[in-house]
Amino acid sequence: MTAIGPRLYARSRALWPTLAALVGTTGFALWAAHLMDAYLDPSRRVPVVALAPLMAAAVIGTSLYTASDELDRTAVRPWWPRRLVQLLGLSAVAAALLPTAVLGDTLVFGPPAMIRNTLGSTGVTAAAAVLFGARLSWLPAFGYVSAVYLASGGARGPAVTVWAWPMQPGPQTGAWAAALAAFAAGGALYVARGARPEGARV
Amino acid sequence: MTGLRVRHRRTTALDGVDLAFGPGVHGLLGPNAAGKTSLIRVLATVAAPSDGRVEILGEDVGDHRRRGRVRGRLGYLPQEFGYYPGFTVREFVSYVAWLKEMPATATPAAVERAVARVGLTDRIDAKIRTLSGGMIRRVGIAQAVVNEPHILLFDEPTAGLDPEQRVEFRALLRRLGADATVIVSTHLVEDVAAACTEVTLVDAGQIAYRGTPGSLAALGGSEDGSGDSAIERGFMAALRAHRAPSAAREVSP
Repeated sequence: MTAIGPRLYARSRALWPTLAALVGTTGFALWAAHLMDAYLDPSRRVPVVALAPLMAAAVIGTSLYTASDELDRTAVRPWWPRRLVQLLGLSAVAAALLPTAVLGDTLVFGPPAMIRNTLGSTGVTAAAAVLFGARLSWLPAFGYVSAVYLASGGARGPAVTVWAWPMQPGPQTGAWAAALAAFAAGGALYVARGARPEGARV
Repeated sequence: MTGLRVRHRRTTALDGVDLAFGPGVHGLLGPNAAGKTSLIRVLATVAAPSDGRVEILGEDVGDHRRRGRVRGRLGYLPQEFGYYPGFTVREFVSYVAWLKEMPATATPAAVERAVARVGLTDRIDAKIRTLSGGMIRRVGIAQAVVNEPHILLFDEPTAGLDPEQRVEFRALLRRLGADATVIVSTHLVEDVAAACTEVTLVDAGQIAYRGTPGSLAALGGSEDGSGDSAIERGFMAALRAHRAPSAAREVSP
């Protein structure tokens, strides 16, 4: 069952709708980034760099849902390689597409910040899929990034670059460390455990 | 299985269960929350016991490599099996065959055979979302038998089936039990009476009774006891005996 099996697996995880949603998110981010008046308010790229990755992470997180969790657990092969490929593949697609929305501003809130935020948000979402289930996995990342967006404006100090990583400029090392740590930890948790079963048996 | 113990947070679902099953159709009876589903899930290798040893087809399923070998020879229908509404019956059963690592060349014929066994051949290319509840249950049975398993585990398989379908399912159980070990968890005693060669009564995480449907029915005695049929009266008598510690030893074989 080599050919049709992976195809059915991809369909069971809504791969094509997920890819279409990632392309749609990129188009929306592109439209939003160019709509803004960068001359009057240069920092208005921040909403795009913070929120577009959040939307992409939500799309990826909900695609981690499986309807047949109980049957999937009886699979002969271990699941972690399939989960790894799925998460890494979708993260790579999002990290490749989203930066095209902010190509003009490469140093501050350009592609590096977009890639970092995509990875960080996806990591938080993957961890949330394990803890709360895939369908609600977008919620913690959404809450965290929203809170940071509102709270980090006047905050100063070295720790801010870590906890407020979604709001930091591209070259900020502390923000990269935090986002990559979130991606690695959330990704490892998801790959090892899978999304929390949803439905009658949780 | 020996010394099987399953805990869910603070509650004990199974408490030191020792059981062995051979070929045939085995009914697992018991009231709600008795531990039947926990037992089936451990046997299906989807839940790990807190304690004890489980050996299936000569393999210790505590070892993950051996567990994989067992899974290829096991069929399982959970209470809620979860399906993809956009899949056709053929696609869903093929998906499970893929999970079971069935050879690609053998799968299409095996899928058609499994679907025919549950009488859904004319709907094999229909989307699952277009099927009735009873038909979806039959899709669940088809996926469980697609790999011609040596061990079949059914958790409340007749829920949602109409009387005619239940009669047909019992006949299927008897056919399957001729070659395989079939374990059926149910709270419907009439299913056990009609289809099972052996019955195990589970109550409060312990084995309350083991015997044949005939011997369980004989426990019921006269028609004065609670229950509408001999086996229902036997079921009630065995439960009462298990819950009264001094009498339990007299009825348990």
